[in-house]
Amino acid sequence: MTTLKIWQHFKREDLFECYQCARCTGSCPAMEVAEALGPRETILKCLNMGHKSVVEDEKLWICCTCNVCEDRCPQEIPISDLLVALRNSAARRGNIPSKLGMAVELLAKTGRSMIVHQLDEMRAHHGLAPLPPAPVDEVHEILRKTKLEEIIEL
Amino acid sequence: METMINGSDLKIGVYVCHCGKNIGGTVRCEEVAEHAAELPGVFLAKDSLYTCSEPGQEQIKADIKEHGLNRVVVASCSPRLHEPTFRAACEAAGLNPYLLEMANIREHCSWVHLHDKDLATEKAKELVAMAVQRAARLAPQVELTVPVTRKAMVIGGGVSGIQAALDMADAGYKVYLVEKSGSIGGRMAQIDKTFPTMDCSICILAPKMSEVGRHPNIELLTLSEVTDVSGHIGNFKVSVLKKARYVTDECTACGDCIEACSELIPDEFEAGLSIRRAIHIPFAQAVPSKFMIDMERCLNNAGVVACDKCFQACEHKCINFADRDKTLEIDVGTIVVATGVDVYDPTPLTELGYGRFPNVITTLEFERLINAGGPTSGELVRPSDRRRPRKVAFVQCIGSRSKRSNPYCSNVCCMNTVKDALLIKEHWPDTEIYVYYIDIRAFGKGFEDLYKRARSEGVTFMRGLPGEILEDLQTGDLTLLGENTLLGTHYNTRMDMVILSVGIRPRADAAGLQRLLNLATDTDGFYMEAHPKLRPVDTTTGGVFLAGAAEGPKDIKDSVTQASAAASRANILMSRGEVTVPAITAKIDPDKCTACGLCARVCPYHAIEGSKELGYYRVIEAACQGCGTCVPECRFDAVEQTHFTEAQIISQIDEVLAHSPEQKILAFACNWCSYAGADFAGVSRMQYPSSVRIIRTMCSGRVSPKWIERAFLKGVGAVLVSGCHPADCHYNNANQQTAKRVERFWKRMERIGVNRDRLRLAWVSAAEGAQFAQVIKEMDQSLKKLSPQQIAKEAELLDKQLKKKSEDK
Repeated sequence: MTTLKIWQHFKREDLFECYQCARCTGSCPAMEVAEALGPRETILKCLNMGHKSVVEDEKLWICCTCNVCEDRCPQEIPISDLLVALRNSAARRGNIPSKLGMAVELLAKTGRSMIVHQLDEMRAHHGLAPLPPAPVDEVHEILRKTKLEEIIEL
Repeated sequence: METMINGSDLKIGVYVCHCGKNIGGTVRCEEVAEHAAELPGVFLAKDSLYTCSEPGQEQIKADIKEHGLNRVVVASCSPRLHEPTFRAACEAAGLNPYLLEMANIREHCSWVHLHDKDLATEKAKELVAMAVQRAARLAPQVELTVPVTRKAMVIGGGVSGIQAALDMADAGYKVYLVEKSGSIGGRMAQIDKTFPTMDCSICILAPKMSEVGRHPNIELLTLSEVTDVSGHIGNFKVSVLKKARYVTDECTACGDCIEACSELIPDEFEAGLSIRRAIHIPFAQAVPSKFMIDMERCLNNAGVVACDKCFQACEHKCINFADRDKTLEIDVGTIVVATGVDVYDPTPLTELGYGRFPNVITTLEFERLINAGGPTSGELVRPSDRRRPRKVAFVQCIGSRSKRSNPYCSNVCCMNTVKDALLIKEHWPDTEIYVYYIDIRAFGKGFEDLYKRARSEGVTFMRGLPGEILEDLQTGDLTLLGENTLLGTHYNTRMDMVILSVGIRPRADAAGLQRLLNLATDTDGFYMEAHPKLRPVDTTTGGVFLAGAAEGPKDIKDSVTQASAAASRANILMSRGEVTVPAITAKIDPDKCTACGLCARVCPYHAIEGSKELGYYRVIEAACQGCGTCVPECRFDAVEQTHFTEAQIISQIDEVLAHSPEQKILAFACNWCSYAGADFAGVSRMQYPSSVRIIRTMCSGRVSPKWIERAFLKGVGAVLVSGCHPADCHYNNANQQTAKRVERFWKRMERIGVNRDRLRLAWVSAAEGAQFAQVIKEMDQSLKKLSPQQIAKEAELLDKQLKKKSEDK
């Protein structure tokens, strides 16, 4: 029996521990503010419909991995690890929100994930020196080594 | 092998059981029987579909009579299951039951090697050959009969203990009922109503309590704890510490003393929701109906009478500050353990706010709140402002079904919540009630009806537990955040009060009694029954029985049922008046004994008497429990264990190692824990490598370093010595000797350059099938890394050391 690539990064057996009590989704701060895919639903879909149904859904990206769900899970399922594995799988399929893609692109180009132009003005206002240039080459190398290049054209 | 015994020919009959498909589906039983027929000493070998069936047993009996078989080997399930069956069959045909030997080819073979028929068949052949070797060396034995003291002790005075005590007392036996607190009644006395019939709990319990109080055959010992137990089935000696009550039996429970006492303490019976005094009666219906002084909280706790207000107030002068704790020594024949459970404390689940938010309470607190005899006289009010709550939430599975608390289902909480919800509806029908659940388990008689009633009376059931509870500091109202999983929507609901449906767990002090009585516990920490299906109230300690939730979560009805069952089991023992003890005791050969006394020092039962001066040591047979720990201790081979002799076990070892020893793991497993654990791995169909061969001893203390040495000399791949966990040894602490001996052997291995990892010591309990399988998997993996050359070289090293030793001598 071959194991799907995603289950090499996350033990599928851990999902079988879930009995859908929904403490995770009930604890999720993202659910309060946005249409997210809650951990409970994520796990149920992985179990009943396969992980493809999840990785094709852009709502997967709303989680900010705060880990509260994992803290409160009575079955100690490593939910954050699951989400990381799912997102890697999603990214490989090209399912990555455009805003997140932009941030990565920025990181590759400037060494920072946000535009710091305004920040420098604020720093000047407080009498601070401008930020030193980010080590773009080094960041680029890291991104290359983590194989992000295979997913997003840098 | 010798095929002669006492001048006559060995005639062994071998019976290989298919057990339907259980063995036959994996092991080719005909082939095993054919192989067995060729073994030395075997007269006939047969395979049958179900050897334990009537025709199967009849076949054995007929063969014994017709062919004069003088040994029987049955290759089937675990001897822990059917040894008594086949022993009886032998006996019925005139063969001494101790001439039976079993090969466990089901739990230890077919069930754990389901996917490799060839390997399983080969292993089964070897297991049968081992059994044949042992059978050839068995000797007939006569069992000793000892009288049973016709008195019983019940530990724990909850509803289970009460029922068990009454049943035995009514049967005419003297019963000592030992209760830790000041009154019998237990958890049931605290509960308001029972499910599914909604009976008033204390109303149906109180008559039973008073019956105990006045029963001529029951001696009630409250404020008492068992501190020591010695002896064995039929003849236990129990030490009971009876704590001082400081109030004499003349007390009429008039209550004049309460007003006089100035010390205020949270009332345990009311779940801390009200206060009591230092002098108090546990609750109105308490039996015995006598006051008591909580000396820890009394002003006189330093031993000086600093306050005598209660004494002054008592008209009958029943207060006795000079009262002292007493230790009683009680002889009983049987013991029923009915110690009950603790309630889960939800404080660690901080997201639910219990302990921080006054309006979050537990179900036990709710029971007292709604009880007419409780702190609010039955008025449902919320603790923060004593207002009646209009919106109430129950949250299920708190402390149950979770790796963070108790992994098991607590069994009673679902129906308890349904009952509680209905109680609120009954008194205040306009209350909105929401039950947040994962699964509602309404499995018992009348349970589904009650659940239906709750729904039809307007109780809302919401699937999905809240992730978090928030409190409004101004109003004390609570907000539940969570997901309704069936609708896939979020809820954010305000409630006046939240009741956490807390689970039950083994008592915090359960380990104490477990050690005193040599009980086993399951992985959840409850006392373990001797067999989960067929001996559900027996324990592995003879003469000790289980009743109530101490054995596992259960409701009142199940507790009472089990209590009557336990009493019945105890009554059988007392009614018969005698028990036979297995003929597995140790014996000392006076010709070889040098009276060094080493054996007596390791005996966990002080069953070996003698001295250097007397010039001998001997075993007191009635006191010897047959662990065999003394045998390996003797340097002069003067001690021998009946039915587990050196010759018998060495023959098994030699048989295992006759072919490809380097590929084998030789495992010694104690009867009570590790062998049972291996059985459990089989019953659970846990798969592990087929390289292991298990030899059973009663205790791991019987395992002789000589056996380990012999195995390594013969080139075994690895040796496992396994026994009960250190505190759980069924022979007091005999397995301490096991640990010592194995450690000594490790040191020796290190000294002469033998890889010490090839000898492993593992503690495996009867519930740890997975642990056993894991140990074998790990050992098999390390074994695969060893080359045959290495094994042979290390055997040589050991051999050299032995030769050098004998030369030195």
